[in-house]
Amino acid sequence: MAYTRAHALLFLAPLLLIVLVMYGMMAWTVAVSLDDWVGMAPVWKFHGLENFRTLLGGALRERLFTSLRNNLIWLVVFIAPTTALGLFLAYGLDLVGRAERVLRPLFLYPIALSFVVSGTLWAWMYDPDAGVINNLFRMLGLGRWAQPWIADPHLATFCLVGAAVWQYTGFAMTLYLAAIRDMPREIFEAARVDGATDVQTFRHVVIPNVGHATMIVVAMLILVTLKVFDLVWVMTFGGPGISTEVLPFFMFVATFRQQFVGIGAAVSVLILILAVAVVVPYAWWSMRRLAA
Amino acid sequence: MIRRPRITQWLVIMLAAVMTAAPVLYAADQQQLVIYHWWTAGGERQAMQVIFDAFTKKNPSTKIVDNPVAGGGGITLKTVLLGMLAAKIPPDTFQSLSGAELKQYVDGDYVASVDDVWRAQKLDANYPAVIGKMTTFKGQHYGIPMNAHRANWLFYNTKLFNELKLAPPTTVDEMIAAAKRIKSSKPNVAPIAIGTREKWPAVFLFDVTLLSTGGPDVYEKFYTGQLNVKTAPEVRAALQKFKDLIPYLYQFHGAKTWSDIAGPMAEGQMGMMVIGDFAAGLLVQAGYKEGVDWDAAGFPKKPQEVFLMIVDTFVRPTGAKHPEATTAWLTNLTDPKVQGEFNIVKGSIAIHKAVPDTTYPDKLHQEASRTFKSKRIVPSSIHGVLAPPAFLSDWQDILTRFLYSPDINRALDEISSAMELDKVSDSSGWYWAK
Repeated sequence: MAYTRAHALLFLAPLLLIVLVMYGMMAWTVAVSLDDWVGMAPVWKFHGLENFRTLLGGALRERLFTSLRNNLIWLVVFIAPTTALGLFLAYGLDLVGRAERVLRPLFLYPIALSFVVSGTLWAWMYDPDAGVINNLFRMLGLGRWAQPWIADPHLATFCLVGAAVWQYTGFAMTLYLAAIRDMPREIFEAARVDGATDVQTFRHVVIPNVGHATMIVVAMLILVTLKVFDLVWVMTFGGPGISTEVLPFFMFVATFRQQFVGIGAAVSVLILILAVAVVVPYAWWSMRRLAA
Repeated sequence: MIRRPRITQWLVIMLAAVMTAAPVLYAADQQQLVIYHWWTAGGERQAMQVIFDAFTKKNPSTKIVDNPVAGGGGITLKTVLLGMLAAKIPPDTFQSLSGAELKQYVDGDYVASVDDVWRAQKLDANYPAVIGKMTTFKGQHYGIPMNAHRANWLFYNTKLFNELKLAPPTTVDEMIAAAKRIKSSKPNVAPIAIGTREKWPAVFLFDVTLLSTGGPDVYEKFYTGQLNVKTAPEVRAALQKFKDLIPYLYQFHGAKTWSDIAGPMAEGQMGMMVIGDFAAGLLVQAGYKEGVDWDAAGFPKKPQEVFLMIVDTFVRPTGAKHPEATTAWLTNLTDPKVQGEFNIVKGSIAIHKAVPDTTYPDKLHQEASRTFKSKRIVPSSIHGVLAPPAFLSDWQDILTRFLYSPDINRALDEISSAMELDKVSDSSGWYWAK
């Protein structure tokens, strides 16, 4: 049976539908962000950029910038350790031989957990009284290292990042492992013949050859930091005060708890702008580097 | 191409036809009641079953299509409903809280008047007047309440209070004095238990502080935006007193939920805590005995003891598909027998005046029922019963921040700005309507 253009369209239809719905929703969100919609029922009262003015210069300025600052903390503190640990583990797994079969699922397991589950677990571990972290410090005679963790407004965001690093390292590791396995074995053999140690091989052979994996890992993790929500919701509910709020959390609270639907839509437009502003230049830059 | 046997084709077609038609036929054949609510936790689920059983007994031909949505105070349910109502596919009834929360649905034209049920069941006579006020908007009733929780309880550890010869405090000043005693004689005990990881328990503690320093009139005015927050001495005084409490709070409150700290309070690692009557159910379930491990007292007693109330309510959505079932459901809720049996399991109290105080097996709920009938009832601020929900969300942020950095002037600025943004005064007109 010959495949015709009609077949192609038929098979593409679901995809087209998804794309249409997605862009339709985005356009709808932008439209809502320009309206004065407060309350449960839709209010189509156009008031231009007023919502953005309230967010950037008005009553919600402090809240917006707290969320923005926290998203930036996520961006800076979360990506580097997750990527580095992932690469390190991937190379380690490549070296350990048969034990890999046991170890790989072990490191991958966290990513299979729901964030609600891992968030609850980590909140227990961070518990200043009964939590395993402080108690471990106390057992080792390092009681002065014990911290209030998520109960400390200055530390709480970093605690959330810690939980996320634990959860996402396996993801980075998988992509790196695939990249390392993709490399021709001759390179490793050549390095060994030249007398390179494992550390030297890692530094001079592995790292220069996994650039494309890094690009994917970092781009995905950037998106993770921009849409982080569940861990914040479960572990701190944005608290203490609003100290751990991030943009998606702010968006949800404004839209559904406070029913400032216009404001909530404006926050999601800001998230979209941020995502495009961060990811597109990054992808462009790393693609050019890879091509070079 | 292989030709499929004809019989298979027919089977497939018939199966498809039956599957499409079945729901339609089924719905036409049987009356339904599609209900959405947030009673999903242990005791709540069983309590709901009590109402379902009573309803089915009276309406045997109506099938209940139950849609429980977990999430305390209905925050998740509201998200679900928002979509359904906007899409004009309302259920036959859903749960709300009376007051500002209910007003949101009224403002969206999503609920219809229940005046017929209200009049037929003589609720003006059978329910306290304040309940009528909290369900009345634009001159009509829009919800049928069925149970009340009391928010102003002070739970305390009985053994600890006996050992230190402490009487249950009646004002916040006495609470601070008791906390001081506990702190000096038992340095390892946190005098005041509180868990603010979910934020809202901070509002419970502030509410009793405001009632103690300002009394119920100030309380009602504050939460409906009738006070000029920046200049009113009452708000400053309440915040000052709230600040005085901070040194006696369990220090890691930001890492705990209210249910995390109820146990340690009953065990004697913490002294006392301000929370709603729902904590009693949790304590009893965990095996702690009222009068032995813990006790509770209405708080504050001065300048005036009030019943700070949260009311669960069901509504009649506009355009509900099975209007008779909705009416039957709402009517069933007003039955004193149903209210009594439901509330024993739910851990709240009935609001129908015909339900005797002795209905409840425990001391706490008997006292709650007595107070409900004899003392002034004040709508609680929590979950948007008195104050609009938008403000409540900002308010718990302001209060939890204050607990970590108690700057009164900054807090007053924050409250004033939130009240303006959330239009607290404008949207609270219903409470003061005559």
